[in-house]
Amino acid sequence: MPLLKVENISYSVEVKEESKKQFDILKNVSFNVEQGEILGICGESGGGKSSLAKVISGLIKPNSGKIILSSEAERKKSSPIQILFQNHGETLNPFRKVQTIIDEAFMINGVDKNNLENEREAVLASVGFPKELYQRRGFELSGGEQQRAALARLLAVKPVLLILDEPFSAQDVESQLNLVKLFKKLNKEFKLTMICISHDLKILRNLASRVIILKDGEIVETGKTSEVFNNPQKSYTRFLLSAEALNLSYDEIQTSSNQ
Amino acid sequence: MLSVDINSVSILDEEKRRSILKDIKFHIEEGKVYTILGKNGSGKSTLVKSLTALLPKIDYEVRGKVIFSATGGSASGGNGTDALNSSEEKLREIRRNNIRYVFQDAANSFDPLKKIKYYFDLSNVSPLKIEELLLFFLLPTYKKLSGLHSYELSGGMAQRLLIVLALLANPDLLILDEPTSGVDYAVMNLILLKIKNFVRDKDKSVLIVTQDINFALKSSDHIAYLSGGNLTRFYNPDELLNSTDDKMKNFIHSFKEISNAST
Repeated sequence: MPLLKVENISYSVEVKEESKKQFDILKNVSFNVEQGEILGICGESGGGKSSLAKVISGLIKPNSGKIILSSEAERKKSSPIQILFQNHGETLNPFRKVQTIIDEAFMINGVDKNNLENEREAVLASVGFPKELYQRRGFELSGGEQQRAALARLLAVKPVLLILDEPFSAQDVESQLNLVKLFKKLNKEFKLTMICISHDLKILRNLASRVIILKDGEIVETGKTSEVFNNPQKSYTRFLLSAEALNLSYDEIQTSSNQ
Repeated sequence: MLSVDINSVSILDEEKRRSILKDIKFHIEEGKVYTILGKNGSGKSTLVKSLTALLPKIDYEVRGKVIFSATGGSASGGNGTDALNSSEEKLREIRRNNIRYVFQDAANSFDPLKKIKYYFDLSNVSPLKIEELLLFFLLPTYKKLSGLHSYELSGGMAQRLLIVLALLANPDLLILDEPTSGVDYAVMNLILLKIKNFVRDKDKSVLIVTQDINFALKSSDHIAYLSGGNLTRFYNPDELLNSTDDKMKNFIHSFKEISNAST
């Protein structure tokens, strides 16, 4: 039984200006997420990647379709699915101490008071957040430190699935590499299942064992990352790969945008 | 075209002076694309803003010279003038005609109360010519855009439109601050093609600041690295990845490691 089953999800919004036209953002999307894997979802802006993340985590309601969590995941007290957003730094309260922020998450999750200190240290150590900074407030941290604190806050509620929504895009290459290594470590050590959403193919090549290529709300191609990227079957996947290499001609760009 | 010799750029903060850039020296020649690479917070944006004295004098002190001399016929602005030592009027002229910026924060580069038509009119270029550029960048038509406000554009559209507006001024030097952040691959390819096209005119140059090594390698003739307030020399793209400069080592190593993942 997979950890999560996404079945025939469709989601559309009404465009007010153009005489109540329906605009389809996700069209009949189905896939499974297996326990312990890192699944990559890629595609260009406007392809429906973020909407999919929000549907899976229950932030928006799809027009039709089902999201089925395994029964084990369902039994959890606190939200079993957590999202790390692109602007993760801003998800921290700037005026609260890191320690308070993390402790609160543990309390919600019903952690015993006597155990709190151990749990706190374990989760902050797992993301590489230094002990000296526990008493700092959100705004006193650098971008990278904020990011680690925000991640620790998500991990503190012990999610069964962590969704990464473009957390790499504003980072320089050194920070990107550090993050990739951190996510791999979390996946290995805690068997944490992840969905990584990114338009950046090199990130997915590093992180994901399986990928889904999304275009205009539909799954174009899916399979093992190495197979999809080394031997793409669909023209859109080939387009993405040559676009990544910055090798497109003007005609190729135009054709793809007119499709 | 542009000869930069900046001794120091410092932030003035309640009598204290914190130096951000030191001894920045380089030349920009015609017909070439230059990139200054650097990590987040290395001072890349500060550096390009200091070139035409855009940093507020109340907060910043810039010491040095930035000599601008245009060879092209378009140069009504300063021939051999020191931008750091010019009147506000002269500077405005240079910024309007000779050196155009496309800033990173594209959406906020527009006045939200003005329609896009206002910016088209400012350029003094015929709608037909504008339409051509809009088409190239896969933007909506002249007519459609004219009636919109900047807040009705997506981030990616605003960025492309800013590039269009900068190109309409037909500047001698085009400065792009993080042109690839927040745009998808197709648009990245478009920007790359346009940059190459722009410098084909021999008397034009482009200066890019970015953290995107891949884009730098593909777009530029000369690439330097900014860290700790200092700029390395400019390398050719083929030289850069083999550079043994200690300052760049981690940056380039990370790039190689993340790019060479075995799938």
